[in-house]
Amino acid sequence: MSLRAKQVVIIVLGLAFLGSLLLVQYMEVLRKKQEGGDRATAHVVVPQSSQSCVKCHTEKTPNIVEHWRYSTHSQKGVGCLDCHKADRADADAFDHEGAVIATIVTPKDCSGCHPREFEEFTRSHHSAAGNILASLDNYLAETVEGHRGNFNPHGPTAGRGDITTVNGMASAASGCQQCHGAKVALKGKDGAKITLDDLKPDASGRPTNTAILATVQRTPEGKPIIHESTWPNTGIGRLNLDGSRGSCSACHSRHDFSPRRARQPENCGKCHMGPDHPQEEIYNESKHGIAYRDLVSRMNLDAKTWVLGQDYSAAPTCATCHMSGNVRNGGKVSHDPGERISWTNRPPISKLLDTDQNHRIVNEADPEKRKALTADSWGDKRRRMKDVCSHCHSPDYVSAFYTQYDELVILYNEKFGKPGQSIMDELYKQGLITKTQFDEPVEWTWFYLWHHEGRRARHGASMMAPDYTHWHGMFEVADRWYMHFIPEAREVVKKGRESGKVAQADAATAVIDKIMAKPEHSWFQGGMDAQYDEIRKQMEQRYGSK
Amino acid sequence: MSRLRDFFSERVPVSPETMRELTNEPVPNHLKRWWFALGGTPAYLFIIMIVTGILLACYYQPGPTTAYQSVRYITEEVAFGWYIRSLHKWSATFMVAGVILHQLRVFFTGAYRRPRELNWMIGMGLLVSTLVGGFTGYSLVYEQLSFWGATVASNIADSVPVLGGFLKRMLLAGESYNQHTLSRFFVIHAALMPTLMVLLLVLHIAMVRMHGVTEFRFPDDTSEKRYFNFVPDHLFSEIIVGLLLMIVLSTLAVALPAEMGPMADPLTTPEVIKPEWYFYVSFRWLKLFPATVAVLSMGFIVFLFFLWPLIDGLIRRRWPGSEASMYVGAVTVLTIIALTVWEAVVAH
Repeated sequence: MSLRAKQVVIIVLGLAFLGSLLLVQYMEVLRKKQEGGDRATAHVVVPQSSQSCVKCHTEKTPNIVEHWRYSTHSQKGVGCLDCHKADRADADAFDHEGAVIATIVTPKDCSGCHPREFEEFTRSHHSAAGNILASLDNYLAETVEGHRGNFNPHGPTAGRGDITTVNGMASAASGCQQCHGAKVALKGKDGAKITLDDLKPDASGRPTNTAILATVQRTPEGKPIIHESTWPNTGIGRLNLDGSRGSCSACHSRHDFSPRRARQPENCGKCHMGPDHPQEEIYNESKHGIAYRDLVSRMNLDAKTWVLGQDYSAAPTCATCHMSGNVRNGGKVSHDPGERISWTNRPPISKLLDTDQNHRIVNEADPEKRKALTADSWGDKRRRMKDVCSHCHSPDYVSAFYTQYDELVILYNEKFGKPGQSIMDELYKQGLITKTQFDEPVEWTWFYLWHHEGRRARHGASMMAPDYTHWHGMFEVADRWYMHFIPEAREVVKKGRESGKVAQADAATAVIDKIMAKPEHSWFQGGMDAQYDEIRKQMEQRYGSK
Repeated sequence: MSRLRDFFSERVPVSPETMRELTNEPVPNHLKRWWFALGGTPAYLFIIMIVTGILLACYYQPGPTTAYQSVRYITEEVAFGWYIRSLHKWSATFMVAGVILHQLRVFFTGAYRRPRELNWMIGMGLLVSTLVGGFTGYSLVYEQLSFWGATVASNIADSVPVLGGFLKRMLLAGESYNQHTLSRFFVIHAALMPTLMVLLLVLHIAMVRMHGVTEFRFPDDTSEKRYFNFVPDHLFSEIIVGLLLMIVLSTLAVALPAEMGPMADPLTTPEVIKPEWYFYVSFRWLKLFPATVAVLSMGFIVFLFFLWPLIDGLIRRRWPGSEASMYVGAVTVLTIIALTVWEAVVAH
């Protein structure tokens, strides 16, 4: 090769090497982009209407502006005012630096851009979580744990002379309502709570009772004060002033509104955990949770669509099975997690989830009437869930799993749930226990049995967690039944008889005896010596006589 | 301009003619063939290793609690850290291959023969230094495999009769892998080996200059002139090879970047322990024989190759024209390839 040719080759190769450095630069940018969840290098668009908000809040609350900068909203030019803007007629509207805004952003506000998600969510059981305000759980927090109203302190608190009253609803506000949602209230000038019940909002969310707005307590700048016992609150069934239910930030958080976060099981675990419904712990114990923890780097959590079988396949999360799109359903996401749930294991006795046109549970027992009322059957819901399962499992496998699950739920229902409910109903009916909840040991025992241990067993079976199904579930249900519930029920009957309620005691005894004489309970009173001998014989064969 | 030239001429009293003579030694015509333009490749890779190594050392922190995290930081956080680390890793792989290929070329062309025996020994020193550098560099990441690789290596050292315990303590800075081990590896990798290699390279090149490059006359080379200028003819060829090498390394760094295995866990022995590919041959050898036999036999074979120019000289004096080196070389290369492939394809 001539010297001239070599010079040309050197120039060409030199340029090629510089070109390869451009590829390296591209890879570096790509890496940074992936680290930042596709947002690190994304262009942030601050709309004209929100520029002064961003400028001022960058000084005052810099982190929420920073969170917003990392959101899809910021890239698409959705600014502060797009969500926080309010109509002057709104109950919580106020003037702020030349704009009319509201502090709380409700699902109705989000529905302006996300109508389908709003519609799906509004019909979901999630949005009805605020119904706890009239449930036994809330009775516990508001009465048993606390007090409906204020009461006087037991004694002075050193260093806090201002503590002159006790808020009896504190447990409900910091506990129940943080998951289930508070009934948001404006603070009246007399300290009263002004809720949607008082405001009577119309379809657009504006109050029809405008007169009451004059009684709302305001800051010197005119900002209405939200009652501190109802806000901050991002409970999923929050009852908002505009009449809408729920809080999108319950799952998506503010102000980055992260789809990534909503796809992760820890997000659901804020509420779906603990002794009464340990779904997060159950998931962690299951093979699904184990695979997720191991393979989280392959979950592609930042994907725009996140369709199972297309964007990822490593492991399922809560969202995968209950909400997210998959290849088989055309990638359709649903904000109604109930669409794929066939049993509700929440009540003392599990129910199959047939729902009517208004998405309410059908409780009709007559088969023909039930069929007529049902718009979306439990079978439809199960088929949707099976579609998800089928991305990883064969039809036989999925059907066999559902047989195991159904049989566990039915075992609980028929051996403990229904009989327990019958006994409790009889004790109430015969007046052997008072109508006041939780004032007798047997009521606590029954509550533990179905609300804690019974749910754990059923939820454990629903999501493949053997330890929760057995040791934390059915074992404890059985212990609670035989060692506590039945003895306590008999004790109630005995006391009733001693107090002169002989006929009532006989009736209740008949119910208990009839249940305990059934084959599934007969071992407890009749003994199972023959079975024990058989077990002992087998153990000796397996391990030797010692 | 002339004033500047005068300034330097006065302070560096070497005439332009002398400089030209020093830097532009005529080289034999066979170096015009591209295959023979690969001689500078290991040296070129060594320079890349030094440059990327200095950059990596800016962030690397030796120590069991910091090493892995600092490498992870380089790989995942530092701007272009992954690229620099990948270049370093691929350069190391290529350098080992380059040194071995250079050594083979010298062996099979008999370029080690009189009067170049000492330069062969220097070359063997460079080969061993390269392998030690590779081993210690691999260990610095503090991954499961590199940790257990180092543990295996220390057990190998321990198998040497009499000196074993001493060698193991020298390698690990104690009786077993401890908090000072990585510091020791780092010093060996980043200070001791590079210094030794620079000294050996200077000696190696000085010897080449003193003896001149061994000349090969190919039948198709009918030109009367047997030599051509190093500058610019051969220099251009080396630059072309260097640029090609840089493009290949850069592509590999992007396509197959250096990754992170699981962090070292001294309490959990991995099911499968594998060293870097260039140690497959010795790893398989160790599995074939009892440890002491394997270590001593390996040491003996390396020693024989170190002295091979002298042994070959004795053979050729006894049997002039003998091609024993060809047979010995062929058997050795085939054995190395067979053992390497064997180790690569089996799980354990």
